[in-house]
Amino acid sequence: MIAEFMASWSLFHSTYLAGWAIALLLALVGVPVVARDQIFVGAAVAQASMLGIALGLWVGVAPMLATCDWCQSESVRGGLGGVFAVAAALACARGGRTGARETPEAVTGWVFLTAGSLAVLVLAHSPHGLEEVHRLLSSTIIGASHVDVAVFAAAATFTAALVAWRRSTLLLLIMDPDMAAASGVHVRAWTLVTNIWLGVVVALSVRVSGMIYAFACLVLPALVAKSLCREVGQMFVIAPLVSVLCAMLAFVLAHHLDFPPGQLTTALLGAVLAVAWSGRLRRT
Amino acid sequence: MTSASRQSTTAARGTVLVAAQGVALGYGSHTVLHAVDLQIRAGEFWFLLGPNGEGKTTFLRAVLGLMSAQAGTLRLDPSLASRAAIGFVPQRCDLNPTLPTTVREFVLLGLVGTGTDRADHAARLAPALDRVGLAGMQARSYWALSGGQRQRALIARALVRHPALLVLDEPTTGLDLAAEASVLEFLAALNTDDGLTVLVVTHDLHLATRYATHAALFHGGTVLAGPRHTVLCSANLTRVYGAPVDLHPGRGGVA
Repeated sequence: MIAEFMASWSLFHSTYLAGWAIALLLALVGVPVVARDQIFVGAAVAQASMLGIALGLWVGVAPMLATCDWCQSESVRGGLGGVFAVAAALACARGGRTGARETPEAVTGWVFLTAGSLAVLVLAHSPHGLEEVHRLLSSTIIGASHVDVAVFAAAATFTAALVAWRRSTLLLLIMDPDMAAASGVHVRAWTLVTNIWLGVVVALSVRVSGMIYAFACLVLPALVAKSLCREVGQMFVIAPLVSVLCAMLAFVLAHHLDFPPGQLTTALLGAVLAVAWSGRLRRT
Repeated sequence: MTSASRQSTTAARGTVLVAAQGVALGYGSHTVLHAVDLQIRAGEFWFLLGPNGEGKTTFLRAVLGLMSAQAGTLRLDPSLASRAAIGFVPQRCDLNPTLPTTVREFVLLGLVGTGTDRADHAARLAPALDRVGLAGMQARSYWALSGGQRQRALIARALVRHPALLVLDEPTTGLDLAAEASVLEFLAALNTDDGLTVLVVTHDLHLATRYATHAALFHGGTVLAGPRHTVLCSANLTRVYGAPVDLHPGRGGVA
């Protein structure tokens, strides 16, 4: 099975490497999301990113913009996806601030549902529009380029370095923001930066790998780590490890069984989480 | 642990750590406190008292550097300027109960902002846990601790900073009488044995009359502050609380 997989390496190595780099990156970013119980924020950000990409596709085929070459470029879709994802991450975070009129759950729900429906409506009458929405939803990472590999590898390295450098500050922000503020940490600045980074990496990942794979890598490995670890700090090691190992195994199996790798990775992570949960139940 | 081995950044006894002169504090255009004047010196044990919404926590937030004065000056001793030498114990810690954490990880979070080298973490952790009576529990899950032990873990998280000033916001809320007495006895020991300056926000007059060296009564946007025996008298308390309050200082009680 492995020899068979390796034989496909020359053809699909960019896809594999991009997929694993995304698994590593999102698992790291997903630890604070899961630790703060903001799982639904991850889904809303991914959905908002899809809306941005859908708008980018609509701009590319709109008759009034037919003469604009730049409007049909990949960078417009990626850029709009990023802008919408960052805006969603900031809006969801704002909902929880002191003096905010709504709960974070209400804002997150609004973002998720509105973005999800608008993404379909925007492309409903465009040629191949709904197919594109389906592609983004169904997670196909085949077609990732060497540029994608470089981008995700760089983003993962940057995130890992930041976590290693400011681990204690991140932990305190996750666990006790009031204490972080009293300790001289600029909580608002950190929250802003981490939310923007969440929006950026989710948008980049959704554009390349689709929503299911991106959301799965964001949330499931961190949930597995939460079940396995005794300390939050350990989650930053275990979550990426689980994510990358599952993605590697799933890609090999997907190639052998001719299954879509994104969905198989998600299913495998889901199964690992079920095992971790049952193991924890047995321990308690 | 002895006071000598605590390696705290405790300032010389009598040094003015916090000096408020005509300080006004509030939120937006709303002023909660007008013209607060008080001085907190090293080695004192302060209780901030008063009805709800009178600005006790607001003043505490200003001392912690979480808000600026609308008017007047609030000066901290240079040893407190970076906030590394201030230990803060919040009223409660809203930790996500599904989050895995040990006593060790929880207490070491107190070192954020102090610039302590990771190699020195163990040397800071053990004495802090020992001091609060949680020695040997560092590997235990935080969630396995009782309410009183969690409160002690919160205090250990503040002590691990080697503070010159320990600030506590209603530290006995939710504790039973035995745990409450234990926490206050412990704070009093920190004050008398280690010379640590302690600032406590509380509603409990009984505790204040028993443990405070100094008190501040918050009422109607003003603060009456000074040594306990001059501030905590029946006349002042009756005016602040709007109901007759009789003190029995000999028994350390209030009626």
